[in-house]
Amino acid sequence: MSWSFHDPDEQALSRRFLAAGYVVLPVEDLGALERIRALLVERTCAWLDCAPPAEPQGFLDHIHQRVEPADLNALRVALIGALNAASWARPAYYALARRALTVLVGNELAMQRRLNLSIQLPGDAGSLLPLHADVWAGDSPFELVLWVPLVDCRATKSMFLLPPAANARLGAALHSFAGRTVEDVYRSVEPDLEWLEVRYGQVLVFNQTLAHGNRVNQEPETRWSLNARFKGVFTPYADKKLGEFFEPITLRAASRIGLDYRLPGGFDE
Amino acid sequence: MSRPDTDRGYRGYIGSRPLRGHRVPQHVQNLVIRDYARRHGLRFLLSATEYAMPGCYLMLDDVLAGLDRLDGVIAYSLFMLPRRPPRRAAIYRRVLDCGRVLHFAVEGIVIAGAADVPAVEDMMRIDAAVAGGTTDIRGLG
Repeated sequence: MSWSFHDPDEQALSRRFLAAGYVVLPVEDLGALERIRALLVERTCAWLDCAPPAEPQGFLDHIHQRVEPADLNALRVALIGALNAASWARPAYYALARRALTVLVGNELAMQRRLNLSIQLPGDAGSLLPLHADVWAGDSPFELVLWVPLVDCRATKSMFLLPPAANARLGAALHSFAGRTVEDVYRSVEPDLEWLEVRYGQVLVFNQTLAHGNRVNQEPETRWSLNARFKGVFTPYADKKLGEFFEPITLRAASRIGLDYRLPGGFDE
Repeated sequence: MSRPDTDRGYRGYIGSRPLRGHRVPQHVQNLVIRDYARRHGLRFLLSATEYAMPGCYLMLDDVLAGLDRLDGVIAYSLFMLPRRPPRRAAIYRRVLDCGRVLHFAVEGIVIAGAADVPAVEDMMRIDAAVAGGTTDIRGLG
């Protein structure tokens, strides 16, 4: 019999995550998700000067009927400001996947200081995130991303991820794309990409060292999603540093003791 | 990174590698570029972030490939350009051949025509030589 320090369900979750590069799980605190969505719907209505909708998801899905692409960034910036000004928003966001993050990342976490919001109108090329891995642009390989849709997302309304084996092949060949474009890189891996289906009420946790991104949303509905990064607070940082980008959120008693402790001094040789 | 298809402006270009031995947070690089754009009346488009791998310029290549949809590029610093002079020359050519402009926000330097290149190249080569032979110093002669 083999022994493990992990519970069987923790082992299973880790295995799934490592094999696929992501997991889609039910939200752990649906009330927290509803509070976040309600704040964004309320602020969107204030920005549009319209009455609160009877049905939030339909309102968000069809926001392209009320917002022009040229105005989208102003709305997005206003909503990100409102969300991050709410002191409860980041704890609520963490609560959406607290247990999963504990299993996959650890129980002493640093969290991104600002929640990001992505809004992708159908047919709009103005808010795209071309194929990339966060770690290529200054994120630590010790980070995971918690991605939370506010509407049901599938196909081009969602995001794509390159599975681990194909991603390893891309990593080995990436240098050969010097002088070419990211679109060329995308074309080279397009057959291997997985488009992730994540519904409202679910969360996606994914490995940001895998290539991912989105394309023009060809679905008839608008995508709304939030994202933020988590890492072990004592794991190595890359260009996204503690303080300016990350903040400790779950320091434990032993770490607080260790951080404060100084050996008694004053001795002479 | 935002990529408008039609609305022209100047694409920011920031880095995720140390620059001349120093690290500048990405949001600070963006602040410098935004301020530069505002002071010069240029429409700023969200920045492309160069990858962390040493010697990698994939994002710069990607920005240059989209020059037809831009007025030009505002790089955070001149010293983000490739170390090899021929590689830099190819970048200047790509920008100037399509009538676009390359700005460097920290230095306040603009390459808007071929006549602007020699002074920039002098600075690049001297900086590399002073830093300890990271360039072919025969090029200084």
